[in-house]
Amino acid sequence: MNSEQLELTIGWLYPTLMSTYGDRGNVICIQQRLRWRGYKVQIMPLDQNSTIADIHSVDLLVGGGAQDRQQEIVMRDLRGAKAEALREKIDTGTPGVFTCGAPQLLGHYYEPAVGLRIEGLGLFDFVSVHPGLNARRCIGNLVIEVTAKRLAEELRAITGSPAYVIGFENHGGRTQLGQVEALGRVIQGLGNNGEDGTEGAFYQNAIATYSHGPVLPKNPFIADWLIQTALRQKYQESISLAPLDDTLATQAREAMFKRLRVNVPTALKL
Amino acid sequence: MPVAYQGEAVGKEIQVLDRLRLGFAVLTAKTVTFIVRSLRLGAASVLPGEIASRIQPQLLQLLSSQVQRGVILVAGTNGKTTTSLLLSTILERQGWQVAHNTAGANLENGLITALLESANLIGQLAVDYAILEVDENVVPNVLPAIQPRLILCLNLFRDQLDRYGEVDTISRRWGQTIATLPSETVVIPNADDPTLSYMGQQLTQKVLFFGLNEPEQYLDEIPHAVDSIYCPNCGHGLEYQGVYLSHLGDYHCPSCGFHKGKLAINSQDYPQILIGLYNKYNTLAAVLAAQQLGVDDAIICDTIANFQAAFGRAEELEFNGKKVRILLSKNPVGMNETIRAVNDVGGQTKLLVLNDRTPDGTDVSWIWDVDTEKLVERGGTLVVSGDRVYDMALRLRYSQQGDNGLQLIVEEDLKKAIATALEHTPEDETLHILPTYSAMLEVREVLTGRKIL
Repeated sequence: MNSEQLELTIGWLYPTLMSTYGDRGNVICIQQRLRWRGYKVQIMPLDQNSTIADIHSVDLLVGGGAQDRQQEIVMRDLRGAKAEALREKIDTGTPGVFTCGAPQLLGHYYEPAVGLRIEGLGLFDFVSVHPGLNARRCIGNLVIEVTAKRLAEELRAITGSPAYVIGFENHGGRTQLGQVEALGRVIQGLGNNGEDGTEGAFYQNAIATYSHGPVLPKNPFIADWLIQTALRQKYQESISLAPLDDTLATQAREAMFKRLRVNVPTALKL
Repeated sequence: MPVAYQGEAVGKEIQVLDRLRLGFAVLTAKTVTFIVRSLRLGAASVLPGEIASRIQPQLLQLLSSQVQRGVILVAGTNGKTTTSLLLSTILERQGWQVAHNTAGANLENGLITALLESANLIGQLAVDYAILEVDENVVPNVLPAIQPRLILCLNLFRDQLDRYGEVDTISRRWGQTIATLPSETVVIPNADDPTLSYMGQQLTQKVLFFGLNEPEQYLDEIPHAVDSIYCPNCGHGLEYQGVYLSHLGDYHCPSCGFHKGKLAINSQDYPQILIGLYNKYNTLAAVLAAQQLGVDDAIICDTIANFQAAFGRAEELEFNGKKVRILLSKNPVGMNETIRAVNDVGGQTKLLVLNDRTPDGTDVSWIWDVDTEKLVERGGTLVVSGDRVYDMALRLRYSQQGDNGLQLIVEEDLKKAIATALEHTPEDETLHILPTYSAMLEVREVLTGRKIL
């Protein structure tokens, strides 16, 4: 298929409410990597003004972090048929990346430091609890190795080596996984709760992570995996992506690995 | 002057024991300052205050109460240093003696150190005013001790959330603490900032709003790095007639009727200092404060016209015969505005320096909230450097929409980066440098050959 005929629509969850810490970089990253390869790309904000049809029209989902008050506004809006539509998208394999506040909303619930428990969509089998205003925030550079089985295999097919994800975590809430598979194991940093060594979660084709950074520009193999998966879902055939020049991302990764004294392969072979 | 009177009363009530302890604390602090400076260990802008306040825990109160005409507190995410410098210059031109804390030393110990600087060996203070720029999170902790005569609330943007909570929480805490101050306290909030406007409208103190009345300066669209576009009163989305920068603008709430506070100053009556619309806000805040203190308008206007920038805040320097302008860019809103200012004045070469040390915030993901696309679309030469040089380069690469001949030069070594950027700057143009806080100090060190901290 000619790449110029292909088009993906990125659904961006509540851009004005959930855009703390540069997470829109994930949207920019996917958008640019599609453009550079000659694909058409649309960005569809999914917010208070969106319809059910809007949610159904997207091929890829991106959600970022939010302050507690904004998170509540989101949850007041994201219920009923809207919540069902989003649930159906993720259940049927629409790929997505959800950072920090976004996965907290996709779990069973989030208990903020102050105020009432915020019920989530229950898509991911995990709960998130803020241990209180006096508890230390989990802040710092974060390195994980992807361990979610199918994702790890598919990423290895892209990079030729185990996938190490680099980012920056900054969260008060702690997440405890239920039956859902973890995204990866922590090599540097705290991850889900600072105790069990897990980071994030992986369900169908949805990635939940505490990794800001934003996560995609410095881990472009995940961006490409999302794109590939979205194209396969939409066009029902496997489409191989043209390689891009990721020298700067590689250099940024190498510099941080070196500083953290983390010895991992840094190749980004595509 | 009611507040000054109250200050004197408190001063007279200082007990003998307190006085002794105050004297001892001040003496110790001055010794520490002397040692630190003579050994060239630094500028001693925080440590003396820390030691002295261990000896006399009420130090901030005891010192503040002695300031003759009153303490002026300057709070906000961006613009504290420039506004304080302009106001102190105006007050000094009027003939008053002013104490002022050094930029960056805006936590409690930095405030104490600044007051100690002006105190004699037994802790007596002989200044007319003290202008204290205070970190936004520390404001509620120090307000009761300082009992300021004037409080300038410049703006609240998202900055270093890795240290602090949320913009809404901060403004609420400010409001709650200011409400406990004497009724004659003058509060000068930015009316264009909805959360501060709301805070001001709830207070029973004397509130004077500053803000812009210049619709020709409206932005075409609300930038992404926006924190608060919801009504602080009822939570409904605010309607903007126009946005000046970030979430600052002319707005109202269609649901509960909340609207921008009534301006006590017409922005069109005054010119501004330096470049950048954000400096118009800084100018207006200082002018309104100076007017309240009875300064002549002629002095105010003359000081604006001759204003010299603070370190790295639109500061102009010359290096090897070329003009350089440093525009501190430490958070998304600040950097959007410095980019706007640089694009307004033109010039084809810019140097961006991104560090991630403690004063910068250790998380650099904020650069993805900056509309660097607006810088990149102008083409020319962009040189990048700093601890996180590749992160900034990556951000710029993802900002490119098609080939516009932009030259992106990545140089880890700051000295080389500066030299390269200067080489790429034509004779008749200015090199603009956009650094984070610690990067700004380093850039200045290279350009002036002197350390300032």
